[in-house]
Amino acid sequence: MADIPDAIVLKRDRDLEGREGEIWVRRVILLLLTALSIAALLNVFGQRPSTSTAAAPAATLELNAPTHLRSGLLWSARFDIQAHQDIKKAILVLSSSWAESTAINTIEPSPVDETSDNGKLALTLGPIKAGNRYLLFMQFQTNPTNVGRRSRSVELFDGTTRLLGFDQTMTIYP
Amino acid sequence: MDIALRAVVLFAFIFVITRVIGRRELSSLAPFDLILLIIVGDAVQQGLTQDDYSVTGAIIAVGTIAVLQVAVSYTSFRIPFLRPVLEGNPIVIIEDGNPIEKNMRRERLTVEEVLEQARQNQIASLDEIKWAVVESSGKISFITKS
Repeated sequence: MADIPDAIVLKRDRDLEGREGEIWVRRVILLLLTALSIAALLNVFGQRPSTSTAAAPAATLELNAPTHLRSGLLWSARFDIQAHQDIKKAILVLSSSWAESTAINTIEPSPVDETSDNGKLALTLGPIKAGNRYLLFMQFQTNPTNVGRRSRSVELFDGTTRLLGFDQTMTIYP
Repeated sequence: MDIALRAVVLFAFIFVITRVIGRRELSSLAPFDLILLIIVGDAVQQGLTQDDYSVTGAIIAVGTIAVLQVAVSYTSFRIPFLRPVLEGNPIVIIEDGNPIEKNMRRERLTVEEVLEQARQNQIASLDEIKWAVVESSGKISFITKS
């Protein structure tokens, strides 16, 4: 046998005795990384939007927005209101979690008025005639420090009368 | 605080990744590997500092990574039984001119690739090699018979 180089232990470094587990640890971690990529493809970590709908005799509201986000992400929400009856003063009320640690880049078309309704964001859209559709687009950017899980709500009012609404859970990954 | 936390998480993640993907990938810097390295660096930077363009942010990020790097190095130096986990052990792939198939397969190395490395060390054939060892850095060390 050739002279063994210093610090080389043949049992350990040539015969790999006691190192059988190393390869399996490597394989398991690689498997976990693959699972992570597959989960990302399946939208587990956001940002693909999903649609939620609330319906009432007076109107239907469809919200198209991602419920799973990541910090720093730019994203948009589309509020699609279809009036079945005349709505004299449509007001979209969003819970504060929509704006908490989130930059609202733009709201199109601009609401007629923006106020606070007991801590919620109240966007006055104006009248919507029966059979008409009102599309509101909002562009957001989640702040890098905004991480966690919280609920957000959307409500549609006609003046002071609540027509419909729903809650969602929003998850923000770091 | 957030940047320091992100630096810790990313440091740990990159550490695990470099230990898992194997030494061979780390030691070679072919053009494709070099481009990948830049892409990985860019992706990590964005996750690390995000929209923070401040000098304070950069100092926190670099400082945290430096401290972690020294901590890993010191741990490896002071606690010998953790050294194989933190740095890895060498693997003998050639003994007396004979390739050790099991070990080469484990490192995803072919005889041709070993010979290519050998030629770069002015070694013409396997017969001249007494020992070839894949070091924990991924580089192959050759000890010739002469």
